[in-house]
Amino acid sequence: MPPEMQLCVEKHVKYIQSLDTRKDELEYWLTEHLRLNGLYWGLTALHLLGHPEALPRAAVLEFVFSCLHQSGGFGAAPGHDAHMLYTVSGVQILATLDAFDDLEAHMEGGRLKIGQYIASLQNTETGTFAGDEWGEQDTRFLYGALNALSLMDLLFLVDLENAVSHVQSCANFDGAYGTSPGAESHSGQVFTCVGALTIAGRRDLVDEEKLGVWLSERQLKNGGLNGRPEKKEDVCYSWWVMSSLAMLDKLHWIDSEKLTSFILQCQDPELGGLADRPGDAVDVFHTIFGIAGLSLLKYPGLIEVDPV
Amino acid sequence: MPIFYHDDPEWSDIEPLPQDDGGLHPLAAIAYADEYSEAMGYLRAVMAKNEFSQRVLGLTEHIISMNPAHYTVWLYRSRTLSELKASLHDEIAWLNPTALKHLKNYQIWHHRQTIIDGINSPKGEHEFIATMLEQDSKNYHVWSYRQWLVKRFGLFDDKEEMRWTEDMIHADVRNNSAWNHRWFLVVGGRDGKTLPENVVKREMDYAKSAIRKAPQNQSPWNYLKGIVREAKLPVSTLKDFALEFADMRRPDDIYSSHALDLLADIYAEEENGKEEAKKALELLASKYDPIRAHYWNFRKGLLDQSGVAA
Repeated sequence: MPPEMQLCVEKHVKYIQSLDTRKDELEYWLTEHLRLNGLYWGLTALHLLGHPEALPRAAVLEFVFSCLHQSGGFGAAPGHDAHMLYTVSGVQILATLDAFDDLEAHMEGGRLKIGQYIASLQNTETGTFAGDEWGEQDTRFLYGALNALSLMDLLFLVDLENAVSHVQSCANFDGAYGTSPGAESHSGQVFTCVGALTIAGRRDLVDEEKLGVWLSERQLKNGGLNGRPEKKEDVCYSWWVMSSLAMLDKLHWIDSEKLTSFILQCQDPELGGLADRPGDAVDVFHTIFGIAGLSLLKYPGLIEVDPV
Repeated sequence: MPIFYHDDPEWSDIEPLPQDDGGLHPLAAIAYADEYSEAMGYLRAVMAKNEFSQRVLGLTEHIISMNPAHYTVWLYRSRTLSELKASLHDEIAWLNPTALKHLKNYQIWHHRQTIIDGINSPKGEHEFIATMLEQDSKNYHVWSYRQWLVKRFGLFDDKEEMRWTEDMIHADVRNNSAWNHRWFLVVGGRDGKTLPENVVKREMDYAKSAIRKAPQNQSPWNYLKGIVREAKLPVSTLKDFALEFADMRRPDDIYSSHALDLLADIYAEEENGKEEAKKALELLASKYDPIRAHYWNFRKGLLDQSGVAA
């Protein structure tokens, strides 16, 4: 392969390792409210790159447990309020590291407590989930809840049927999904809605061809994918769009060669990491979604990722 | 000008709580980070003793100005406002410039909904939204918030709302958010009831005239097909219109891949249309939308299958 078509694996591993040692940079502190998400993204990227050992397990677990509240919810970092998004990341990290036994050792009945915390955020009338006691609702939270509960085998704690019918009410006339009933279709929301329906065993509710068409229309001439019609491309949609297409078994509807080369152009070949589009500054969010995208495209040397 | 609290007499009763993550902050090099870290220390301290006061409002305002994505700060501010029964209009006056500074922030919009819900009137919100959309006319948060306003204050049939949506589409006919909003008003507000015939005609005419302005624009095509489906009309209703942009007798003069796509569907349903449908799909795969060649070929395959079945 020509050099511009190579994935710089070593550089990306180094970049992710360096993220936690940049405490003298303001950016580190301003993103404190995302710390646990960031850790999950970094860890997943390392697993896909075939270097799960690059972040030490014990230290990761110590940090994760320090974010866990007695309520069973996780905050973004020690001392932050519990919130759905961080609870999901916490559970995902525990699952990735096969650490539910460590969880029990740290907090007796921990798994069930976390499950109950998540279940408590469901609105039993509408089936939606809130992010925290504040009550902001969004299909992101619903997907996260089902994802974490299924990783812990605790889906029975919530009203699945109601959750499913809420997801259905977010389906739009163009075949795709938005954040709430009537809200504009958006690739990220398609991922959360199709993911939630897949976990709930109700993918039969999706109009697969119509949604597949909408998703494949996200590819632009330069190979990149956008999030909504008539918007610009961005590496993170490589994940949202492609994982959705993969769940629908329609990944072959887009041009994978052009997309691969678009993602590779977003690398920082010197310091590692990926950006939203070629030439922009890298961050961990786009790094994981770019690498996960390449993994779905079966890029050689990457561990294959589960689209759900 | 950075703001510090350690030598402010108003805060002398508070001992800031340092971050509990074991490590020290090597922040001295960056003045702004120092300021942020100190303010957070004071916030943790007032939260630990459940203080709800005017100075807490000032403190949260200060922290939000540095880092608006910190959800704990918003939550605590919201609680403080309600404990103090503070003026909600003052809150909105402060939120306006704050939202303009942080266009991609989530928390701000949820906070705004709570406040406007409390004020119980959408007055002034349209002007504010207009200012926001001047920065980014497709901002997802702003459009979602606009929908919330429509639902909360029952504006589905409001003439002003419709006129504004038309202005937005007129300003940028490719603004998918604006098209979605129109759908939300016209169809979403009807709660599943059938669209009256005159509305169907009006909407079809509207989408068609937008397509004539920019035949390759996805949004009005999606809208037009959506209306036809919603009204339970056959897709062949759109045949003459699609032919305006894609006459297959002149395969080099196709003005819209969306029209070709639609024609393929229409021909496929006609008794002897299969060859024409194939031709349309082949044009798409080879010339007018080759990046999705696999998809168009899949559609072609379906045509053959249905032939076998028949």
